[in-house]
Amino acid sequence: MTLALTLSNIGMSFPLASAGDSQRHQALEGLNLEIARGERVGLVGRNGAGKSTLLRIMAGIYPPVSGTVWRARELSIALLSLGLGFKNELTGRENALLAAVLQGMSKSDARLRLSAIGDFTELGRFYDEPVKTYSSGMRSRLGFATGLLLDTDILLLDEILSVGDHGFRKKARDALTEKLTSERTVILVHHAERAIREVCTRAVWLERGSIKQDGPVEPVLDAYGNSS
Amino acid sequence: MTLKQYFNLVDTMARLSLKAEARRFYFGFWWWVIEPLLYVAVFYTVFYQLLGNRSPDFLMFLIVGKFTFIWFSKTVNYAGNSLVSNAGLIGRMDMPKTLFPMAVILECSYRQTAVFALLVALLILDGHSPTAYWFWVVPLILVEALLIIVCGLLAAVLVCIKRDFALLINLGMLFLLFMSGVFWDLNSITDESTRSTLLFWNPVAFLLDSFRQVLLWQQVPNVRYLLGLLVLLIALLALITFGMGRYRHYLAQRVVTA
Repeated sequence: MTLALTLSNIGMSFPLASAGDSQRHQALEGLNLEIARGERVGLVGRNGAGKSTLLRIMAGIYPPVSGTVWRARELSIALLSLGLGFKNELTGRENALLAAVLQGMSKSDARLRLSAIGDFTELGRFYDEPVKTYSSGMRSRLGFATGLLLDTDILLLDEILSVGDHGFRKKARDALTEKLTSERTVILVHHAERAIREVCTRAVWLERGSIKQDGPVEPVLDAYGNSS
Repeated sequence: MTLKQYFNLVDTMARLSLKAEARRFYFGFWWWVIEPLLYVAVFYTVFYQLLGNRSPDFLMFLIVGKFTFIWFSKTVNYAGNSLVSNAGLIGRMDMPKTLFPMAVILECSYRQTAVFALLVALLILDGHSPTAYWFWVVPLILVEALLIIVCGLLAAVLVCIKRDFALLINLGMLFLLFMSGVFWDLNSITDESTRSTLLFWNPVAFLLDSFRQVLLWQQVPNVRYLLGLLVLLIALLALITFGMGRYRHYLAQRVVTA
């Protein structure tokens, strides 16, 4: 087994603004996790369990307070989450252009992709309207379509399949499945267990910042389901 | 991220913001020049009409001062909020944190090109023919741009650490407006040592005075001070970009968790 990512004894805490930064909220504690190349891991847990914090640490957005994160040097990593990072005054098309350039494309290459992104989102004339006029479903669809541009070795997906109506969700899952080659490592956070059953080969249940259970998808999801 | 990608991104963000801003208002891009003109109109009404300031050429004196000051004050104010207002993006991607204030600085500088063009047009219309002294505007603009970049980056970091700094920066701009000779002549300070001290410790006042020297009074600015300021700003820029790179994760954490 070749490792893609190793987290050893990870601890993470944040200052509580209400306590004038003197008290801290412990988001993760003593967390150990090894992820092999090509593995598809589903992360489950209640709100506040530390899933998004863990993804941000994996993505290198910020380091943990304690412990170490190791990632295979040659592997690229990206975090995709919906509804975040859009500029409300820009249109869907302009936000898509910005997202593409943010992901390293030249402006001319990005422009070539804009029509395809617009078609995928099914936003119609709203694609050229400011994002502030969008419903949450429309924002999610745009977020998913721009996120599909990512082409990294390790994909961290935060709730990205909760997109739009049933028809669009199926289309989104199909599009994502196309990207899941055997070499690509995926860590998927999702509330809907069905998505994890379909995409993942392993599940990790996070509870109050620590791993409660880690193993094959079915037993972990069953235990998680029975606990709630 | 390569340097080319970095500048491509900064430029894209700046241009898209300009387009979005123009779309928001009925007069669109015209606000770039309407706003500074309105400021001048207000100051002129108060200081010339109401308070009776009868300095010769007061209107052009005011225009040169206000047009150059507004570039500094607005840009640093906007840049101060640039990190906290991009929390969504910063929480998703590990990217250089200078990117966001730099995009704001470039956006304001694009806008300022129209203001400088208007300034030149107004000077010529008022009978100030271009002279060789006007070439000094180029190094003055360069130094002011560097001053804006250094102050803008610093403001972004400070607001990221504590939001209270946003209020202090606003207040600081008001203080600078009064202390930089925007609507009064620094040469009216009779005590030479007070005047020199003010010009030495307040680079904004020095730059405003220098712009007036070259555009209105056909004088060469203090080259020694200008060079010294340039060297100091380059050193500060290197220091702050290094610091923002080294502490980029800390900044991301402050932005995301605040």
